[in-house]
Formats: sequence, C-alpha cells, structure tokens
Amino acid sequence: MTPTQLLLALLLIPLGASLIAFALRWAGSATRALVTLVHLASITLVLVFSVLVINDVLAAGAMTALGHWFHLDSLGAIFLALVGGVGFLTGLYSIGYMNHEIRNGEIDIKALCNYYGFFSLFMSTMVLAVIANNVILMWVAVEATTIGSTFLVGLYGQRTSLEAAWKYIIICSVGVAFGLYGTVLIFSNASSIIADPEHATSWMVLVQNAQLLDPTLTTIAFVFILIGFGTKAGLFPMHTWLPDSYAEAPSPVSALLSAALSNCAFLIIIRYYIIVSKTLGPALPQAMLFAFGMMSIACAALFIIVQRDIKRLLAYSSVENIGIVALAFGIGGPLGILAGLLHAFNNSIAKALAFCASGNIMLKYGTRDMGAVKGVMNVMPATAVFFGAGVLALGGLPPFNVFVSEFLVVSAGIKAGNGWLTVISVLLLATVFAGIVRMVTSTLLGKAPENVQKGELSIVKLVPMAIFIVIMLWMGIRPPQPVIELLGNATKIVLNKGDAPLGISIQTPWQMINDSRQTVAPTISTTPAANSAAGH
Amino acid sequence: MSGTLIVNCLAGLLIITSLLVIGAKKPTSSALQYSLQSFVLVLIFVALAEIKHAHELNMWAITAFITKVVLVPFLMYRALGSLKDPAAETAVISTAATVLIAALIVILSYVVVGHVQLPAVANLKPALGVSLGHFFLGLLCIVTHRNILKQIFGYCLMENGSHLTLALLASNAPEIVEIGIATDAIFAVVIMIVIARQIHRTMQTLDAKQLTALKG
Repeated sequence: MTPTQLLLALLLIPLGASLIAFALRWAGSATRALVTLVHLASITLVLVFSVLVINDVLAAGAMTALGHWFHLDSLGAIFLALVGGVGFLTGLYSIGYMNHEIRNGEIDIKALCNYYGFFSLFMSTMVLAVIANNVILMWVAVEATTIGSTFLVGLYGQRTSLEAAWKYIIICSVGVAFGLYGTVLIFSNASSIIADPEHATSWMVLVQNAQLLDPTLTTIAFVFILIGFGTKAGLFPMHTWLPDSYAEAPSPVSALLSAALSNCAFLIIIRYYIIVSKTLGPALPQAMLFAFGMMSIACAALFIIVQRDIKRLLAYSSVENIGIVALAFGIGGPLGILAGLLHAFNNSIAKALAFCASGNIMLKYGTRDMGAVKGVMNVMPATAVFFGAGVLALGGLPPFNVFVSEFLVVSAGIKAGNGWLTVISVLLLATVFAGIVRMVTSTLLGKAPENVQKGELSIVKLVPMAIFIVIMLWMGIRPPQPVIELLGNATKIVLNKGDAPLGISIQTPWQMINDSRQTVAPTISTTPAANSAAGH
Repeated sequence: MSGTLIVNCLAGLLIITSLLVIGAKKPTSSALQYSLQSFVLVLIFVALAEIKHAHELNMWAITAFITKVVLVPFLMYRALGSLKDPAAETAVISTAATVLIAALIVILSYVVVGHVQLPAVANLKPALGVSLGHFFLGLLCIVTHRNILKQIFGYCLMENGSHLTLALLASNAPEIVEIGIATDAIFAVVIMIVIARQIHRTMQTLDAKQLTALKG
C-alpha cells in the first residue's frame, strides 16, 4: 500500500466505524453484539495499520501523503504507537467494562452505541492530530478530540459527570482557542515570507524557513501555543479540568485521555518547539517548558499526598508526569529530549494500566474513595497485583519502565548543570511516591468490607492489563531495538540534527552496569548516560 | 473615506457589538446580538477583500455569513430560548466595570500590536488591536458570568477575534483553512449547547456556581 492509502486507512477506518456504531442503535436485538463487533474490528485494524505504518517509517524514513497534508516521521510514529497500542488495549478492556455496565443497568444500549461511536471518533481525531502536517489541520484535530471525547466524559449523565463534561469542553475549547491564535500568528507570519500561502501552512516548510520568522511574533505565538495545547496536555495551571474529567469518565476513557490524548497535545507543542528553537534559539522555549514542568510537578505532588479519591490521584499523577516530560524538554540537549520522549511513552503504558485496574476496583466496590476500598488483595488478587504494579511503576519503582525514564531525566538535569533544581524535583518525586505508597497500602491491604464479594471480574478485563505489564517490564529491563531506534530518530528531529549521530543511546541502569564493566568498548565510553552511571 | 479607515471603524463597531452580547440579559437576545456582531465581521471581510484585492476574503465572507450570521445564532436562539435560570443571570461584576475592563483590554492590545512589523497590517493596526482585544473580551465574558450559556457566547467571541486576526494577517490563506476552523467551532458550540441542555434538565440550573460538586 502507498503511504497515502495507509494513512487514509488509519483515519477513515475508525471514522467509518464510528458512524456505523451510531447507526447501529436502530439494529434491534442484535445491536449489542453488532456494535461490539464493529468496535473490536475498528481498534484491531487501527492497531494493525499503525504497526504497518510505523514499520514503513522505520524502514524507509518519514512518509508524506496527500500532497502536504499528512506527514509521519519517527517523532509522530512514537505517538501513533501510543494511540494505536493504548487505543487497542483500552478498547479491548472497554468491551468487558461496558458489558458489566449494561448488565448492571448503569447505561442502556443507546448509550453503548454512543460510547463505541465516540470512542472510534476520538481515535480517528487523535490519529489526525499525530499525522497532520498542516498546522491549521493540527489545531482542527486537537479541537476535534475535545468534541469527540466530551460525551465520553459525560457518558453516565449524572450530576457530577455532566459537571465534569462541561468543565472539560469549556476549559479545553477556550484553551485550544489560544492554540488557534498562536497558530494563526505563526501562519500569518510565514505567509508574508513564503511565496505560496498553501505552503505556509505546512509544518515541514515552516521548519525549513524558521530562521526567517519575526522573533517578536514567534515569541508571542509560542506563549499562546504553550497555553493552548498545554491546557489539553494537562500542564499546570491549565490542568483544572483534568482531575474532574479523568475521575468522572468511564475508566477505559480515563486511560485513553491520559495515555494518548495528553501526549497528542504535547506532540503539537514539540512540533512548535522545533520551529521556535530554530527562530529564537532553544533558550526561551526551554526556559518556558522548564518552568511549566516544575510547577506541574510541584502542584501535582501537593495534591497527590492528600488525595482520597483513587482516580483523582491518578489524574494528578498525569499532571505530574506531563510535567516531567515538559521538564525534560526544558533541560534540553540530546539526553533531555530523549528522556522526555521515553518518559511520555513509559508513563502512558503505566497510566493506562493503573486506570484500567482502578476500573476493576470501582466495578467491584462501587466507589473510588480510599476510605472504603480496602483489602483488594483478598478480594481480587490478580487485579490487586496489576493495580499495585501500575501505580508503583508510576511512582518510579524499579524495575518498571517509568523508573528508567525518570532516572534519565534526572541524569540529564544534573549533566546540564541544573543541580539544585533537579534535587528539588527529586524531592517532589519522592513526595509523589509517598502519596502513591499510601494509596497502595490503604487499598490493597486491610480487611475487605463484608458486602464485597470475593472473586475476579471476567478475563476480558484482565488480559489487557497483563499485556500492559509485559510491555512495562520489557521497556524497563531491556527496551526493544525498534523503540530505541524510533526514539533516537525522533530526538534528532527535535534537535534538528539531520543524520548526525546523537552520541547517546537508551540504556537501562542494569544494562549500564554490565556495559561499564567492559570499559574498553569505545561506543559505550561516548555515552553520557553510561558515563554518569559509571561515575556513581 | 479610505478603505483602511472603514475597516478600522468597523472594528470599533465590533467591540460595541461584543459588549452588547456580553451585556444582554436573555440568551435569545445574546444570540441576536451575536448575529449582528458576526454581520459586522462579514462587512470587515468584504472591505478587506477590496483593500487587499484578496478575493479569498469574499469567499470567507460568504462562509462566515452562512455559519455565524445565520446558522449558529439560529441554533442558539432555538436551543437556548427555553432554558431559564433567573438565579444565574447576575454577572460577577457590574456592566460599568465590564465596559471599563473592556476599554483597558482594547488599549493594552493596541499597545501590544504596535510592535508588530508586518507590511500586511501597516495601516490596520487599530483593527489588529481590536482583533486581539476581542479575543480577550470573549475570555472576560467567560470569567465574569455565572450563567453557563454566557460562557458559550464568550467562546464564540474569542473565536471571532481569532478569525479577524487571521483575515487581517493572512488574507491569502487557502479557503480550506477557514472552512476547517469554522466547522470545528460550530461543532464545539453544538456540543456545548447539548451539554448545557442536559445540565439544565438534570440539575435545573444554569449557574456555574452550582457546578462545584467536584473539587480537590
């Protein structure tokens, strides 16, 4: 298949599935089976096409399709892997979750069709945000993700879910309107320099001509873009919609919002970071991302330590982790960027697992309150292990993947000479870890309430979580070569380095220990991360 | 009267109409005022098309007329007319204070755009200042009103502000750019209307202060 066909398939399959799911409400008694089948086909095909497309990017480099409209490079491919992979696993988990909700009368068949319809629509808009090369289309896609997911947040139609949906659409639409203003400023600026206005909307052309942009307008535009898309990514102080929406949405949706959507929004910030770094030099965008990152981590740490609601705690953990990603980009340099991209990937996997596991707990206990959820280990041992692993991984416990990326971010901070600020961020991360351990001990241990029946939920609700754990351990112990290659290429794109070697590679601390024994290996001795580990 | 003067005067009129949208008591009157304001925006597009010899702007004017003067106000008039909550009708600040803050916003925006060195807006700085100010007036409308329907209008005002900036700075933009933005904005407004109606049906309120069950 040609790149155009592949990317169009990725976009149109979930879009078509969404329309079919909406229409299936009139299918009578077969509705439930048919709509589930359409949903399953949609998420499976998106996963398959994502893998095919990413394989092509790995083999032949970036692909451009439909003139200048679509462009997928290694940077986009990482985020496409998240949308396709996490979309598939949370979609699979959704089937079990929604069947449970239908059986218990929490939602009706019409709401089920809406759920699957909006789920696919949401997937399609996220794919569009990742593959768009046209900057206006990027904005349209991010705004469309809000439109696609608002009804998912408000699915249950209760007071609190409607309140969350309202805050979500108003805060995100207003935030993203800032993003539009920033986009318009960059585009207007470029169209006065580039002869053909059609080309001034192309991100690739903007990167090539970034030096010609007006510095004042570019600075103002980046502020607007950081506020705009930062709102959607969940950066402090624009994060206020996030705990409400993540807590009120059905758990698989919380997982998808946190693992895929916030990263798609951050990808757009990275796209502009590349342009602006070329126009103004990296110092200003880095300082802004550093500040937003530190504030996000600090704010989240304070809320996590006192939180009593399981899903709200996980939501603040999302604020913290997107803060770490911003901090890594703020530190900059090859190691900082690489660590930031790896952390975005790692956090998504762990967060999706934690939200899915919290979904099982909610279905069983009927509450998210840590005061009422006790003894999960006795009631649902498998879910308890998944929940504990996911949540402790989020706190940065080895040997899970998040530990590796946090370690690299801290190393990058120290190497860049931000010693004191890095120490402060490590203290904040320790506070987060304390809050997380408190939640784990309080919910998994203790005596289960008497009205809660022992026994796991169905296997469909466990398999996706088992797969998440395997990926987490794999990424934590020995990350697979294709992922390392994608991350390396993506870092070069962000740094605008062309094909020049980066001089660093991703190694987990346990790999570094083995390697540092073989000190004669010249490729290892040029690796700053390995050097720093050897020096400790 | 030169073309640029007409555009600058119409831009001034835009601020007055947006104050009318913000100040109107009933959502139906806000919808009508919004339609009036969008009509002023359409006139600006037509005037700009003449000055800049940019025929794309005539197409923009037509799309904006269909979507913003007719479609969105009609939807809001029909869907929001039946929703009432007298408790939510008072603004957080008085009308006089709103006008004062609006004036400050416009002056500040004018000062900020003074530094922009693009030939496309050499004689249109007042209009550019208004477009930026208009964006923040929308934000002002959202933060100073308890009525959630007013927040929808605030979003529409912000969107009109960025639309005018786009027309002033990049009148040669491909038509598809404008259609994409307009379509998204319409969908956003439609979904806000649907959720607002659900909120009114479930909680019998339109007061943002009542939507505070979630916190911490």
